[in-house]
Amino acid sequence: MKKNIYLLAIVGLFTIVLSACGGATETSTEVDFSDWDAVVAAADGQTVNWFMWGGADNINAWVNGSIADTLKSEYNVTLNMVPINDTAEAVNKVLGEKEAGQDDNGSVDMVWINGENFRTMRQGDLLFGNWSATLPNYAFVDANDPSVLNDFGYPVDGYESPYGKAQFVMIYDTADVEAAPATITDLVEWIKANPGKFTYPAVPDFTGSAFIRHVCYDATGGYEQFLGEFDQALFDEKFGACWDLLNEIEPFLWREGEYPESDARMKELLANGEVHFDMDYNPGSAGNLIEDGVYPETVRTFVFETGTLANTHFVGIPYNSPNKAAAMVLANVLLSPEAQLEKADPAVWGDLPVLNPALLSEADAAAFDALPRHPATLSTAELAAARLPELQAPWVEAIEQGWIENVLEK
Amino acid sequence: MKRLTKYAGVALIVLGVLAPFIPILIWSFARRWYFPAVLPTEWSIRGWAYAFSSASRLPQALWQSLLISGVTSLLSILIGLPAGRALGLHKFRGKTLVEFLMLAPTIVPAFAVAMGIHVVFIRLGLADTMIGVILVHLVPTLPYVTLVLAGMFANYDVNYEAQARSLGATPLQTIWYVLLPSIYPGLIVAGMFAFIISWSQYILTLLIGGGRVLTLPLLLFSFASSGDNNVTAALSIIFIAPAIVLLIISARYLTGRNVSLARGN
Repeated sequence: MKKNIYLLAIVGLFTIVLSACGGATETSTEVDFSDWDAVVAAADGQTVNWFMWGGADNINAWVNGSIADTLKSEYNVTLNMVPINDTAEAVNKVLGEKEAGQDDNGSVDMVWINGENFRTMRQGDLLFGNWSATLPNYAFVDANDPSVLNDFGYPVDGYESPYGKAQFVMIYDTADVEAAPATITDLVEWIKANPGKFTYPAVPDFTGSAFIRHVCYDATGGYEQFLGEFDQALFDEKFGACWDLLNEIEPFLWREGEYPESDARMKELLANGEVHFDMDYNPGSAGNLIEDGVYPETVRTFVFETGTLANTHFVGIPYNSPNKAAAMVLANVLLSPEAQLEKADPAVWGDLPVLNPALLSEADAAAFDALPRHPATLSTAELAAARLPELQAPWVEAIEQGWIENVLEK
Repeated sequence: MKRLTKYAGVALIVLGVLAPFIPILIWSFARRWYFPAVLPTEWSIRGWAYAFSSASRLPQALWQSLLISGVTSLLSILIGLPAGRALGLHKFRGKTLVEFLMLAPTIVPAFAVAMGIHVVFIRLGLADTMIGVILVHLVPTLPYVTLVLAGMFANYDVNYEAQARSLGATPLQTIWYVLLPSIYPGLIVAGMFAFIISWSQYILTLLIGGGRVLTLPLLLFSFASSGDNNVTAALSIIFIAPAIVLLIISARYLTGRNVSLARGN
């Protein structure tokens, strides 16, 4: 008798659980995603779960403040910003859902993405496609800009919408370094003359990986030869020179050849005065860090005469998002001149805008021109004159792997 | 004199427990604090201002963390109590195997099984829900709860229950007046273990909760890895506070002085 009661209880529990999941699957009505008015109508009342790197309080505050308010008041869309450590967490989540057969009620509605993660999602058919040109504010984006049409060499094809631009800059403390090295060769000379005062983050750190690419662009005789598809033979032939150069400077690095594990750790080293250089993909970050009291006032940035890597970051919508309309509305808000202008303000974030000033109204273009710029931040013109394209992801992976095998483990 | 030594001992322990938090407390108010300065050269409340601004989503995370850890502890005790009783009081065939299986989640990394659990939970509709997160938190909490309670029952004399029953107590009265009073220090300790283990889960919450369930570790870790010491320190203190409060509240139950029905007392 007693056993029967337990059995009943267990069966009852399962029934509740099963009925609960039965109720969770709701059929979404078909929306014509190429019709903007229909998208806005469908978005009304939806919640968009935006998975984004959440490690910067200024970015979080802007997204949860200004952007969330605009979405709510103008479109009745609720923003749920999900802070993550690494975009790969969101990519794996969508992948897991696909494997489990969760094809229309996924948990990720939007991801902040570029490069390798975009490539992974495209190749795994994890992204909703061909929607970005539908956004009304896409009209302000230069449709022929190669850095918007390609993401680390991979064609975008409307599978993600541009959000901001980044360009690599070198950071140095003018109190300790007399003149910024103009070229990689000058930097190498400086490193040898000042042992222990330079280093770069170890891969897989994004920033450290980019620094290695700069050195390799220089040591292998130019990036132009690597712009196409990955070529193993060419890689093997050319990159030995790069590993040689990196090994040559290794004994002169911080602690006789130590690599910090992250960009964040690298920032601490410069702030502590342990090293005199740093590097960042956001040209405005040094200015922000000075304002935040992390860096001393004497810190400035520079780009090499041969240029620095520039790329675009995007937002993408997973194929199984149940709130695609709301995600598109969010992407459109992010592309609006108002949001791009706010985002570019160093007091808010200081991220480079993706809009082409020539396509904006005169008033908007003037507002972009009038943005305050921290003395440590280079001007848009200085940056634009020094842009280098990114290589396709397989090249980047091969370089990272090559660095581990030939430099780190040697 | 004996009392004095005792107080000195307690003071030392408290200091030992609290000392590591002093740098965190200072960091949370520091604007610029780098080697070799002993104290920050500039102060700021930026970390706290951010933590308490609407942008940080702290209230939501705090509430969900409390709810999840609270319910997880309660469920752990409900499940762990009968299991602990069986393991503590009875000898049966395969007991070692059962004990090993109970301990398994502490040996196998939770992440290894979490991927599989995630797929199952997606199918069951439990992924991205608070119930799912609570269920998956039971995986790491149950071994501790069961073992603590098994230890408690090893010293428990079941004859008191028989005595109570023979004096006319109903089964519920026996549980209420005999069983619970004799093991409640163990219950408190087990509950605290469960609470703190659940409170500090990151990867399980992220994977099963999918970010829709937002807990304090999720907020904290995204800052800890970005190197923003100011905000990280402020969030850390908020993260640690409940554990310390719990410890203080339950400290008086941990002495075991109230166990009157244990064998040999």
